[in-house]
Amino acid sequence: MADTLRFPPNKRALPDLSRRGFLVSLCAAGAVFGFPKQGAAAMDPAAPGGLPPEAAGASYEPAIWYWIDSKGIVNVNIIRAEMGQHVGTAIARILADELGANWDDVRITHVDTDPKWGLMVTGGSWSVWQSWPVYRQAGAAGRIALAEKAAALWGVDVATVTVANGTVTAPGHSAGFGELVAAGITRAFTEDELKALPLKPAPELTLVGKDVTALDIANKTTGATIYGIDAQVEGMVHAVPLMPPTRYGSVITAIDDSAAKSVKGYQQTLTLEDPSETVQGWAMVIADSHWAAVKAAKAIKVTWTAGPAATVDEAQIQDYGRKLIADESTGAILDTGNSDVDPVFAKAADVFEAEYTTASVLHFQLEPLNALAFRNAEGVWEIHSGNQWQSLALPWLQTALGVGDGEVVMRSYMLGGGFGRRLNGDYAVPVALASKMLDGKPVKMVMSREADAAFDSLRAPSVQHLKMAFDADKAVIAMDSAVTAGWPTKVMIPGFMPKGTNGEPYDPFAADGIDHWYDVGAQRARAISNDLAESTFRPGWLRSVSPGWINFAVESFMDEAARHIGADPLAFRLDHFRATGRNAGEAPNATGGATRQANVLRRVAELSGYGKGGLPDDTAIGIATTYGQSRSMPTWVGGAAQVHVDRASGRVEVQKIWLVVDCGTVVDPDGAKAQCEGAALWGLSMALFEGTEIAAGLPRDRNLDSYTPLRMIDTPEVVVEFVESTEVPTGLGEPGTTVVAPAIANAIFEAVGVRMRHLPITPAEVLAALAG
Amino acid sequence: MLKSTLSILAGAGVLALAGFGIYAYHSPYAVEPPSARPAFDPAQVEQGRILAAAGYCATCHTAAGGAPYAGNFPVTTDFGTIYASNITPDPETGIGNWSKAAFRRAMHEGVDREGRHLFPAFPFDHFTKMTDADVDAVYAYLMTAVAPVKEATQAPTIPFPLNQRILQAGWKLLFVDFGRYTDDPTKSAEWNRGAYLVEGVTHCGACHTPRNKVGAEEKSARFAGATIDAWSAPALTAANPSAVPWTAADFTRYLSTGAGVYHGIAAGPMAPVVHAGLRELPASDLTAIGVYLGDVVGAPEADPAASPAVQASLAAGRPDPAWRADEGERLYATACAACHYNAESIVAERPELGINSSTRLDDPSNLIHVILDGVSSAEGTPGVVMPAFRDALSDQQIAAIAAYLRDKRADLAPWTDLETRVAQIRAHQGTH
Amino acid sequence: MIEFSINGRAVRVDVDPDTPLLWVIRDEVGLTGTKFGCGIGMCGACTVHVGGRATRSCITPVSDVAGAEITTIEGLDPAGEHPLQQAWRELKVPQCGYCQSGQIMQAAAFLKDIPNPTDADIDAVMTGNLCRCMTYNRIREAVREAAAAMRGEKTNG
Ligand code: FES
Ligand code: FES
Repeated sequence: MADTLRFPPNKRALPDLSRRGFLVSLCAAGAVFGFPKQGAAAMDPAAPGGLPPEAAGASYEPAIWYWIDSKGIVNVNIIRAEMGQHVGTAIARILADELGANWDDVRITHVDTDPKWGLMVTGGSWSVWQSWPVYRQAGAAGRIALAEKAAALWGVDVATVTVANGTVTAPGHSAGFGELVAAGITRAFTEDELKALPLKPAPELTLVGKDVTALDIANKTTGATIYGIDAQVEGMVHAVPLMPPTRYGSVITAIDDSAAKSVKGYQQTLTLEDPSETVQGWAMVIADSHWAAVKAAKAIKVTWTAGPAATVDEAQIQDYGRKLIADESTGAILDTGNSDVDPVFAKAADVFEAEYTTASVLHFQLEPLNALAFRNAEGVWEIHSGNQWQSLALPWLQTALGVGDGEVVMRSYMLGGGFGRRLNGDYAVPVALASKMLDGKPVKMVMSREADAAFDSLRAPSVQHLKMAFDADKAVIAMDSAVTAGWPTKVMIPGFMPKGTNGEPYDPFAADGIDHWYDVGAQRARAISNDLAESTFRPGWLRSVSPGWINFAVESFMDEAARHIGADPLAFRLDHFRATGRNAGEAPNATGGATRQANVLRRVAELSGYGKGGLPDDTAIGIATTYGQSRSMPTWVGGAAQVHVDRASGRVEVQKIWLVVDCGTVVDPDGAKAQCEGAALWGLSMALFEGTEIAAGLPRDRNLDSYTPLRMIDTPEVVVEFVESTEVPTGLGEPGTTVVAPAIANAIFEAVGVRMRHLPITPAEVLAALAG
Repeated sequence: MLKSTLSILAGAGVLALAGFGIYAYHSPYAVEPPSARPAFDPAQVEQGRILAAAGYCATCHTAAGGAPYAGNFPVTTDFGTIYASNITPDPETGIGNWSKAAFRRAMHEGVDREGRHLFPAFPFDHFTKMTDADVDAVYAYLMTAVAPVKEATQAPTIPFPLNQRILQAGWKLLFVDFGRYTDDPTKSAEWNRGAYLVEGVTHCGACHTPRNKVGAEEKSARFAGATIDAWSAPALTAANPSAVPWTAADFTRYLSTGAGVYHGIAAGPMAPVVHAGLRELPASDLTAIGVYLGDVVGAPEADPAASPAVQASLAAGRPDPAWRADEGERLYATACAACHYNAESIVAERPELGINSSTRLDDPSNLIHVILDGVSSAEGTPGVVMPAFRDALSDQQIAAIAAYLRDKRADLAPWTDLETRVAQIRAHQGTH
Repeated sequence: MIEFSINGRAVRVDVDPDTPLLWVIRDEVGLTGTKFGCGIGMCGACTVHVGGRATRSCITPVSDVAGAEITTIEGLDPAGEHPLQQAWRELKVPQCGYCQSGQIMQAAAFLKDIPNPTDADIDAVMTGNLCRCMTYNRIREAVREAAAAMRGEKTNG
């Protein structure tokens, strides 16, 4: 509309504040934040509107990971998704430090999908760990190229040239990066050269480990950050889904939209056919505005024949899980060295066993699922959305759209929370399909919170059975553990599954934690996929994935086992961190092995005052420890929680949480602390306040009226301490979650003597346990 | 929007007795074309504007989306629908042909120019208290400042014989004390001015006094509180359940701003009374109304900030770590406390719900209404709103919040059947 | 046509009166700093000021704000330098940042009413704002810091 005026996104840009009335029309639209131009890079979270920087004048690209322009701006390409971990800042600083850049000159660009980036995934707390060597080498390459150029220009020995803080100097000479780049740098590096470059020794790092301004934060305080939900392009229509009664197998038999026809702005309802089978039995309501689509959707009557999961509930899934565990022929056996436990159990003097369960958990990332899809002028399908695993979603999108490689590109946006939900990019598929039905017209879908929850890739409910054999001297001689849950990797990317010693594939993300670092003699670790769960919903990766439930079991069990033989739970654990054999750890990622885990546990016990007593009645500290997510990239965490249990109501109040973390080199101290604080509180939230259940095939709780995550008033002080280290930096987004639930359960036992073996721990269950 | 509140009244007169022909008969007044009317004094017109506002005439005589004063606002009754008449100066369909005398008779006696009895949805039982000068001012205003609109008033859908207006006469005989207000010599001039306004033009009793079976105000229960369009009009007597007794100053502040610190805000049917009406009165009149009502409700002046009720409410509102245990408290903490908060003392316009009228009335309707539909910027404190939870919360959840406020914050006897009541109010097609 | 003012400018919108203010702000006015989280008034992501009061825009029908003055995160301070915004940056409060417009708007209205809040006051008011990244401890600290700054006291930040 010609008379349409739009606000610039920030009042700062407004020319004047006169009270001039003007029309904001219903179909106001404009290419404000979208990047419809093919090849336009994705997003700089520090720039207004997210527009990425363009190189000024000549530029030099020592590696694909960055360029330096003739103004000395260093733009670092980030292939990871920003969802609160300040990942761009962390990665850029690794590079800038090695390069010798001035932090004020550093920009970041979260890039769009392009095959040249290789695997694009942000999860598993891998980002910093995986980027560390690559971006350091890239930085070193730039440093060397700048030094060589300066040496050549000045006619000095390159050994006399230093590069620091954005300036290249030699005795009697000095130049900024920009000047040297403008003078033309052509130095290229082969992969092998890159790998062989000398890196700065730890003491010379000036940005790593220091506080720098996080590049994504400022815009998050002014509303200027552009998330997927803010994506817009010219001419887009709005969509909300009409979702089937089951995740799989539902079929639409009739749609009556007669009552929606009177809704102003309603256009039509599309019944989706999805060759990728990502969405089954979906329809999309198309309208001029989001609200019109919402209103129309309420008025439309859809009839479905439901899929078979319509009769499945959580108790069935869990009972089925118990049956799977009872059948010793099921599952994959993880390689623990010696898994031949049967003879050991046969001769055991004593056996202790326990079952632990956890309920379904929603991601509930605060930004509801959304995506914008269209076919651009070049005929390429553009998907605008926040996403954590572009490489996983692209093939689904190609199949859904019926196109080949290179015909779909995903543009990067900031994520209003990921926590693993956006590893599974299924939500972009229905939008692409709708756009396809409208001949490539831009379609933007924003799901209601209720739809988001119904379509969530839940953290599957779990059952875990742990068993320990003791000899006559009460020494641990074997451990047998079996865990079952719906497996995300199996349903979404089965090729990622390694095989167990029995040849059975398993989902490491549903088994991590069971192959712990305790020396327990013969050890069988059996991971079993719950296919009833998998046919009911699409299990997801949720912050820390299986250590979130398995570690609850293992660390509750270690406490119980210690008490069972009359040992002190702390001493019992430390006694079994012997760091021998496979638990000795391997360089570079797991140097030190179980000694480092023993260290964080010992330290957190000391820090928290565990075992010292002196607390009020029904109040106690519990401890637990974990190695973060996986054995291949351990982040060692010791955790303690002080709780008070109200015997009258069963309410558990968590008063304080301590974490001691050994993640190797701490790249971003404050960001690391923030990640650990958030992760610990997630752990608390899932221990006491979250959890839903599958009812008639879908999660019962769909919004905050009944799904009740931690709030400020529940939030205790969280103390985080990092072990000083120059080892390889490992991940931090998730490890903090994994110790909290068992520490709480152990503290409850210390406080009032009842053992809680199910998450979440509700007041009703505590009361029941107290009643005996 | 008081309009439909008068539904009971509207059907009331139909039970009147027969045989009142002579009493009931009124002759028509002659047609007085506008051209025959001399110009009015602007001061009188202005005085009329203020009085018409204070009587919220436009509120009842304007249909949704219709021209001001052109009538046809539907008042539904148990017997059928009555449509408010067109009182614009249109000679054919409005009152353009009415003489001053005819207008006075309508206001004072409830009889139209042609001699027909008006249904008592029109509160002539109050307007009869108004002085001739004030009635004339309203007349001057309507004839001068209101644009004539040609719009025929729809016939009532009340069936024969109940539609026979003559039956109203019996009702009047039984229930209406005709005659102008007379001062109470034992009271101050200010008190008498307040009483004159309250009993007359602002017709407070029309909503706040309960009615008998045939829709007449119960004289023995003056200002004892009543139900209006599924809202509760609280008692304006000592029976008012406020935690902090109303004072003259409270009334004046509330009626001039739409909000009070210790009682609540003007929402629902009360919103236009304040915002489209009383606020237009001069400050001295609002003070007088406060003096009169303060005396009727009987509260002495005192600083409520230190009152035990306020302190108890503030204490009960402090965050409780056990907030998750009770569903109502849990929902309140996440959906309501972000606005309804206070610290050591009450912040103006941050309604403290433990002492709020809506929580303390025996009838939960007002609380349920505002939770369901919120408060618009035209109600309560102008420019400030409360969101509407109609599509956000279920009946059961709203009932849980109401129960929490009643039990834990106000510490009063629980409301019963709350969920049913929420469902009824949700379904009620009110005009507010 | 419904008229109101937003960040100091008058606007008229032609939408269904029941359209929530949130979607008018985001889709019609085009200011996207205000976020959608739950749509039922329980997360606070959509908090704006109406007449200076923190208001959940997702369940406020636009017809209800006719004539009112709205302020969004974009208009809280012309330079983005409200003491709360400064404290938020100083203490690096935001993680994903999605909740933070709402947190800041809620806190801004709150500190106007209660300039010297206790921790219990902060908890009571801010508990309505969900932060899924669980930045609560930093939010609490930043509200304290900003309150002190607004009272003209020296902060330790
Ligand atoms: S979106 Fe409005 S409170 Fe959650
Ligand atoms: S910072 Fe992510 S939701 Fe609060």
